[in-house]
Amino acid sequence: MEIKEITVIGANGALGVGVSAIFASFGDVKVNMISRSMEKSVIAIEKAGNSVKALKVCGNMKPYTYENLEECLKRSDYVIETIVEDLSEKEKIHEKINKYLRKGAISSSVTSGISINTLANCYSEENKKNFMGIHFFNPPYSLPLCELIPADVTDKTVLREMKEYLTEVLFRKVIVVEDKPAFLANRIGFQFINQAMQYAEQYKQNGGIDYIDTILGKFTGRNMSPLETADFVGLDVHKAIVDNIYENTNDYAHETFKLPNYVLDLIEDGRYGVKSGEGLYRNQDEVYDINTEEYRKKVNYKIDFIDKVIEKFKIGEYEEGLESILSDKSAEAEICSRFLIDYVLYSLSTSKNIAENISDCDIAMAEGFNWIPPIALLEFIGEERFKKIAKKYYNTKFIEEVIVKNLKSNYQYEKFLKAKR
Amino acid sequence: MEKVYILGGAQTDFERNWFKEGKNVIALLKEVTNSALKNVNLTYEEIKELNKQNKIAICVGNFAAEYYINQGHLGPLLTEVNEAFYGVPSARYEAACASGSVAIDSAISKIRLGDYDLVLVIGFELMKTVNAKVCGDYLGRAAVYEKEAEGIDFPFPKLFGKLADEYVKKYKLDEKRYQKNLAKISCINYSNAKRNPNAQTRRWFMNEKQANFRGNPSNERIGSMLAISDCSQVTDGAAVVVLASENYIKANKIENKPIIKGYGHRVAPYEFDKKMKESKNNDYILPWTREAVCDAYKRTNLTVDDIDLFETHDCFTSSEYMAISAFGITKPGKEYEAIENGTIDFTGSKPINPSGGLIGCGHPVGASGVRMMLDLYKQIANEAGNYQIKNAKNAMMLNIGGSATTNYVFIVGK
Repeated sequence: MEIKEITVIGANGALGVGVSAIFASFGDVKVNMISRSMEKSVIAIEKAGNSVKALKVCGNMKPYTYENLEECLKRSDYVIETIVEDLSEKEKIHEKINKYLRKGAISSSVTSGISINTLANCYSEENKKNFMGIHFFNPPYSLPLCELIPADVTDKTVLREMKEYLTEVLFRKVIVVEDKPAFLANRIGFQFINQAMQYAEQYKQNGGIDYIDTILGKFTGRNMSPLETADFVGLDVHKAIVDNIYENTNDYAHETFKLPNYVLDLIEDGRYGVKSGEGLYRNQDEVYDINTEEYRKKVNYKIDFIDKVIEKFKIGEYEEGLESILSDKSAEAEICSRFLIDYVLYSLSTSKNIAENISDCDIAMAEGFNWIPPIALLEFIGEERFKKIAKKYYNTKFIEEVIVKNLKSNYQYEKFLKAKR
Repeated sequence: MEKVYILGGAQTDFERNWFKEGKNVIALLKEVTNSALKNVNLTYEEIKELNKQNKIAICVGNFAAEYYINQGHLGPLLTEVNEAFYGVPSARYEAACASGSVAIDSAISKIRLGDYDLVLVIGFELMKTVNAKVCGDYLGRAAVYEKEAEGIDFPFPKLFGKLADEYVKKYKLDEKRYQKNLAKISCINYSNAKRNPNAQTRRWFMNEKQANFRGNPSNERIGSMLAISDCSQVTDGAAVVVLASENYIKANKIENKPIIKGYGHRVAPYEFDKKMKESKNNDYILPWTREAVCDAYKRTNLTVDDIDLFETHDCFTSSEYMAISAFGITKPGKEYEAIENGTIDFTGSKPINPSGGLIGCGHPVGASGVRMMLDLYKQIANEAGNYQIKNAKNAMMLNIGGSATTNYVFIVGK
């Protein structure tokens, strides 16, 4: 596949900037960056250069506004729309893209929630074949996951060539997933985060948000605890994603996608998280207390098993550290191991349903979230031991169905397990 | 003299930041030792057994753990990794960025003497505990500190920047062309690193346009004409190679393992200006580096024609440029030919740094020599995966310490 010039629509958003930079740098492609104003596009170009630490690539990017849409599209081999997640807005843009798209050119929507098959209807029979969804993770330079979502009518050759291009030229880690709500990585990731939100409510007497975040801290295989992550993502964005999954899917974990009321209250008060200065947390050291509905100082919970795990991980004794989680009898350790079990099971069952390969969940979580890959975690715990623990929460038939024999991860688990709270 | 075999080994993922992961040096050594033992099918029980017969030793390469992690007396550190190492003779070897090589050299001697059947060589450095400026100052101890480093920001980029200046002067090179050549060296290393699953920069972006964009805030000059893109990285990492005697190979019915065929080791005048003064009338700008290469050729009865790939010490692009003629790929002053005509590319006839080298794969100082030896092993054993050079029969490495003060060369083949 030869891509020499592309147009990015909505180029001044965080993803628009990141995606433009990836094409302009690794692809050495000319990128037409379209925003609502020239000023925004000009700023976006510098941001893009900085995002790949190479300002020379700014020379590959040109600023435009929507007035230039037609001329840009006529020159482009590939068009990426990355505007706001709103169906009617997106439909309007894709109808325009359809009108001006150069013959044989490819177009994509960057979305984490809108149905690709619905958007495909904006295109002529001819252009439909060259349309697919593409889902990048923020920031793309450090999170190389790229989910490709073909519509039912997407041409298989075009899809394959796009996957090759993204992998070989742009060094993306590409998985092809079905057009299902939130696709693969977010479905797994937001299940975990939303379930953590629910547990925070359930355990609000014990401390709630910071209590659960401590139990699911960095030592469980992530750079940031899940509720802190939600604040970074934005609670409004989180809501949009889990609502979409809750309304449009119905798997065994359905109820874990129900947004807890306290999060709704925070959103209604405009407390979205980091971008609005407060959310589940405030400043560096305060947390929202679900009980009192007020912010208070974060608590340094004394949880013995966590100290033991960290002490072991610090010197590279991973098995012993894991043992401190799985065989500890405290309520906190129970919650922690329950989440690990749920994470692996939900990853595998979802991957089986909507990805090409079951092991795609490893790529999704390692390259899109920087979380411990579920199959690597399963291997680390050991299949038999995993099943034994899982039987406390799930029936044997279900476990046997999900845990396919001899799954092998291409990832090492060690670097994901931080010796940190 | 006894033959010295390489059984295999392991390196850590050089992308990792162990300090950020909250892990200490024991975790680093434990992970790399466990992977290396797995790679060579050796158990801790077997190590205990060998130690009962006093047939196993450990050589540790490290430059400045005293500064970076407040840890000295590094020889016995492996006893913290596993009690199988209790009693195993172990010592630390230091020669700045060539610490790994001096550890290998010592391991080779132990085996050649027939005293030991198995020697674990482990090189490591944790450097990300401090910021770049402090790190640069620590590294300055590999130069004549009082004269060349004290109070100077980033002394080594400046010394290798001087090498670049001297090169242009000595061989009357077109400076623009020379700088372009250096940019290409940088890009080859970055591009090779993309094939190496343990390379620090495997996700990073670099191309020739950016590498030539020196002086821009995204590629600031740091030592004369050298910019950030001309420099190797600050890296955390460890590497292990397991060396064995013929005795061991036969007793365990191990076949077809690469051997260390020969080496060269020369020391140049410590101070950079003295190096230049000494080489004023020599064809080579760093004659002792060239001499170490020649020693290795002599000791193995091989020539440059026999070498299928090189791993060199590209701490800076100017040092890889110099290595091209030191290896004998071109005449001194004609290095640009091998860069411009693709000779040193991954697909060229004399590929340099298929691993990505120090610029692409990373440069945990005390580990680099061992990492190079491991990569030579992988290439000759046909275990280099995506960065395998086809039909590699002989491979050479050059590992230097300081401003090419300590020069170590090894040839590995079958």
